[in-house]
Amino acid sequence: MSDIKEISPNTLALFGIIGGLIGIYLSPYAPAAGSIGAICAVIWGAEAVRRVAKYGLGTGVPSIGQIALGMGIIAAMFGLAIVKDKILAGPIVSLITASVIGLIIGWFAQNVIKMKIPVMIRCMTEIAASGALIIIGYSASVAGNYEFNNIVNLVFDNGVILAVFWVGAVAMLHPFNACLGPDEKQQRLLYLAGSTGAITMALMGIAALMTLGLGGAITLVLGIILWLVFYKKFWDEVYKDAASVVGTGLIPKTEA
Amino acid sequence: MILDLTMSMAVLALMGALATIAGCIEDLESDVGSQSNPNSQVQLAPQMGFLHRIYNKAISGEPISNGLSAVTGGLVTTVLLDAKFYALTAIVLGAFVAALIYGIFATTAYAGRVASQSRFKQPLYMDIMRYTTPSIIGHNFIVNFCLVAIAYIQYAILGYPFTIPFLALIWGISVGAIGSSVGDVHYGGEREFQNREFGCGLNTALSGRIVRRAESGLRNSIDNVWFCAKFGGPATGIALGLTVFFSSWPTTIWGYTWKAMGVGAIILAVMTIMNRLLEIQVKNAYGPYKEDKKEKEAGA
Repeated sequence: MSDIKEISPNTLALFGIIGGLIGIYLSPYAPAAGSIGAICAVIWGAEAVRRVAKYGLGTGVPSIGQIALGMGIIAAMFGLAIVKDKILAGPIVSLITASVIGLIIGWFAQNVIKMKIPVMIRCMTEIAASGALIIIGYSASVAGNYEFNNIVNLVFDNGVILAVFWVGAVAMLHPFNACLGPDEKQQRLLYLAGSTGAITMALMGIAALMTLGLGGAITLVLGIILWLVFYKKFWDEVYKDAASVVGTGLIPKTEA
Repeated sequence: MILDLTMSMAVLALMGALATIAGCIEDLESDVGSQSNPNSQVQLAPQMGFLHRIYNKAISGEPISNGLSAVTGGLVTTVLLDAKFYALTAIVLGAFVAALIYGIFATTAYAGRVASQSRFKQPLYMDIMRYTTPSIIGHNFIVNFCLVAIAYIQYAILGYPFTIPFLALIWGISVGAIGSSVGDVHYGGEREFQNREFGCGLNTALSGRIVRRAESGLRNSIDNVWFCAKFGGPATGIALGLTVFFSSWPTTIWGYTWKAMGVGAIILAVMTIMNRLLEIQVKNAYGPYKEDKKEKEAGA
């Protein structure tokens, strides 16, 4: 419905990039901040998935989420590893690398495979960049900072990275997949993205209990609180948007 | 841990049994919420004016959603094992947490999809939400328990060089892929289009015209599980169980040798021939698809 004002893609991109980077840079002081930054990136990424998948990618929605985190993890690890002792530059180098990979894959999808989706190149760039921020953000809240060797020891060696990768991808792809339909609305999708991001954060809190000890409990509790807030907001939107919400009942009469 | 041949075979049998249960329950779990293949018809129905009381669990495709719950279970189990919990307790708790998270995703998928169909007046039935979601969580718990247990056996007893979340994720993706390719076939056409002639194929005009009334009252997702438990679920279970058994059996007996590789290739060849024989038999029994006159004209 066009009469409802939507948040513009540029605003959300800024929200995702700035929120994500602030969260990641705060993670050495408060590991939970890494996850909160990642939630900003999830919200941005979910909206980018929505824009590109609106062109009729029904079963392609999960694939888009997976490719996002696939591009993201390569870029994230490259960026964090290449900077060596200039640790501060790591997340930004990752973000730029991811954007370049996304741009190239988007260009291929548009010009070689000829998918003919006008927003393809831009959205691919956005979801790759948000994928990199999601990987670094959640990893940082498990590892305690975003230093490469530390992430390898505390996130890769024990297999937590697979949860970061897979649950992070579902957090990004689930909102549009779950809200798909002719009456899909941006606001409901954004709240759901917050909810899925917060579930991932709670899970990272459980993982951080193993790697960081009690510091992980803060991530876990904050994640659950954020999830409750976003989940409630999502349900408020569902009650507002659905044709009717009934306790039980027969099927209403239609022409068919 | 070094095992003698008897123990190795026992471990293999246990893994095969766990995989069979996981495969069977996974297919039934996907049918509770009409995930994957049959989901497209459930999604289409309101657009065609066929409002229904069937759960619409569009978390994502089956491999991805089962990978999600399995890797969650594996992660929580790893954390608990690290905290010196008993293995069985850790696996049960891990599977339980993963199933709860899966249930949350299921509720948002159903509510989100129905709310996005408001122009077709599809109501959101909260009683369906209340008694179908626990069933999804319960089924998913059994699947997670079996998969994480297999991952634990591989990690701790067989000494695989991978972590539990990694192995669990691979098993989750496998069970989802097999459930999607083997089990769905039995639910989609047979249950949703039960009022049509068997084997008539799905004409485009029939899209979304699913069966919404049961033998008594209105049909819901629980009725679909009852139907799928007769054939679709067990078939999926046998498929996954045999996959696990036949892929590990040669290396268990002969170790990682060329002989084992050869036996594996022979198993593959026998199965290919059996598939081909089955295909020929089915084609002979049911014959080629007979085109209607109208379809021929339209084709020309």
